[in-house]
Amino acid sequence: MATGSSPAPLAVGVALILIGIGATATSASIALDQYGRWGARFFPLAGSLSLIVLGLVELRSMRGSAALNRRYLPLILALLFLSVAYVWTISVFGYLIATAIAAPAALWLFGIRNPVGLGAAAVLCPAIYHLIFFQLLGVFPPLGRWFDLMDVIGGY
Amino acid sequence: MEIFPALASVLTDPILLGWVLLAAIVGMVVGAIPGLTASAAIAMLVPLTFYMEPLPALAFLYVIGKSGRYGGSIAAILFNTPGTAASAATQIDGYPLARQGKASKAMKVATISSVIGDFTGEILLIVGVAWIAIIALKLGPPELFAVYFAAFIVIGSVIGKSVTRGLASAALGVLVAMIGLDPISSTERFTFGSFDLTNGISLVPLMIGIFVLGEVFTQIEEKHVKVEMMPDSKDAARNGLSFAEYQPCLPHVFRSSFIGAFIGMLPGLGSAIAAFVAYGEGKRRAKNPEEWGHGALEGVAAPEAANNAVSGPSMAPLLTLGIPGSTIGAILIGVFLIHGIQIGPTLFLTSRDLVFALFACGLIGIVMYGLIGYFGAAFVGRFITRIPTNVLYPIIFLTSFVAAYTSRGNLFDVYVMVAAGFAGWLMRKLDFNPAAFVISFVLAGGAEETFRQALLLSDNGLLIFVQRPIAFGFLLIGLLALIARVRSVKRAERLRTERGLG
Repeated sequence: MATGSSPAPLAVGVALILIGIGATATSASIALDQYGRWGARFFPLAGSLSLIVLGLVELRSMRGSAALNRRYLPLILALLFLSVAYVWTISVFGYLIATAIAAPAALWLFGIRNPVGLGAAAVLCPAIYHLIFFQLLGVFPPLGRWFDLMDVIGGY
Repeated sequence: MEIFPALASVLTDPILLGWVLLAAIVGMVVGAIPGLTASAAIAMLVPLTFYMEPLPALAFLYVIGKSGRYGGSIAAILFNTPGTAASAATQIDGYPLARQGKASKAMKVATISSVIGDFTGEILLIVGVAWIAIIALKLGPPELFAVYFAAFIVIGSVIGKSVTRGLASAALGVLVAMIGLDPISSTERFTFGSFDLTNGISLVPLMIGIFVLGEVFTQIEEKHVKVEMMPDSKDAARNGLSFAEYQPCLPHVFRSSFIGAFIGMLPGLGSAIAAFVAYGEGKRRAKNPEEWGHGALEGVAAPEAANNAVSGPSMAPLLTLGIPGSTIGAILIGVFLIHGIQIGPTLFLTSRDLVFALFACGLIGIVMYGLIGYFGAAFVGRFITRIPTNVLYPIIFLTSFVAAYTSRGNLFDVYVMVAAGFAGWLMRKLDFNPAAFVISFVLAGGAEETFRQALLLSDNGLLIFVQRPIAFGFLLIGLLALIARVRSVKRAERLRTERGLG
């Protein structure tokens, strides 16, 4: 039910129903409290059942579909991959090395091709963020499990 | 009258004034950058405020919200690209004025109208909020749950293009909020055996993901769009603003300020609806409706006053009931909680001085962004055209990761932020409502608590919500809002079909 048609109504309706069914099954398995009451189940069940109903409404009121621009999907997926890889790299090689890789990669995805600029970003971004967040604000940096540059340069 | 000592206290604190000034500048610049919103800036800056005292932290973010709402008009008028959803209404007349070489005149009208609207909203908040808190103290769990229920329905159904997808966004927000341990029985919910999930999903990484990283995903699709500023006329007569020129705008500004203030008090509706309602009402009552849409100064004044008048009153449900009226309110909840301040009606008993000092900072912030905007909007516009977006958004991308980590020093939160970022992009793409998702996520905890408390009070189960007249009234408001919205959507569909638009 929308002003004008929304994109992918069939996929959205089916997805809502499937998420709703999965969430309902999980909600129904939430343990009862010590008095055998449903207290902890009410809201999860209400949310899950609402999704099933809304999915059905979405399918029932389906009238055409607005066009979905998929032209930049590879770029979006590349950025998603970079995001996940960046967090994983932080967890194994620490913040400095991960950011030195992620900064030029992000700039490259946004269309920057100047090698000097990309090189400068690889050095300046980790240094500046480390200085602001981990030195000035005193946040404890995420250390790498396998290797961390901080162990070498002693920048704690 | 607590506001006067609070004003005196703030005005004699140079460090606090410095934070307010910085917030006025940051908000204006961020609001003026197409694609970025004050909500995104605030979400990203929240972790920094954990290291500040409560008042400077809250004042900094609150004033960014105010100034960011105004900043959207700079993009709308100078770049023909609304910086925020609300400033799309300003663009209708603002851009034609800029094309006539009257960009500075339009900016001055926008600035004065925003300041008057914001002052009106802030004063209504200051005068009315304590009274609302007194009433709120008398509400029991059934009434409070009914208010939450009405808020869910209004937030989910009224904003956005699709009612179904808006409500689904709200339901998804509720489900995500249920992840973790049940606060009453400590039962695990939706944890799937993961230790990280037993602590639940933290608000800060979720918001950074939805509002900041989600926007970066959106902007990678639009990186080819170049922001260009309309050239301004050097002619003082074209760009100066006399009182005689502004006088016809005044009735529109005052009316729109009250429209904005009223809409601001209702949870979830926000600036965009206020601006368009005020524009429509202004055009309907205008002496020159034929000029609206072609560069009428009143057409800039009305939406700008309403847009900014939302800011103060949108804090009323947050401060008195703990229900955020806007995404900025949802973010501020996190800041209150981090600093150990319990929001809700008792806030006025426990932290009265802090609340009035915050209002005082809001008033000073309005003056500051008004002065900067009146004399420097064109400079801000030129500054933004020089910021290369293909450098800006990668920097925002990197900042969002470190900001999400900083909130709890936990890499799991960063994974949450990435997932929320992708979900935020997908929601925008598929006409879901990210704001409804986040506000529902924030509301869910309080709603569940009051619902279960109400059932414990009840001898007749769910009938307690019908037997208590105030609770029943709020449930009806929610249902009527939904019915009205569904009817308006169906009417719009019928009109489209009749006009052969499919």
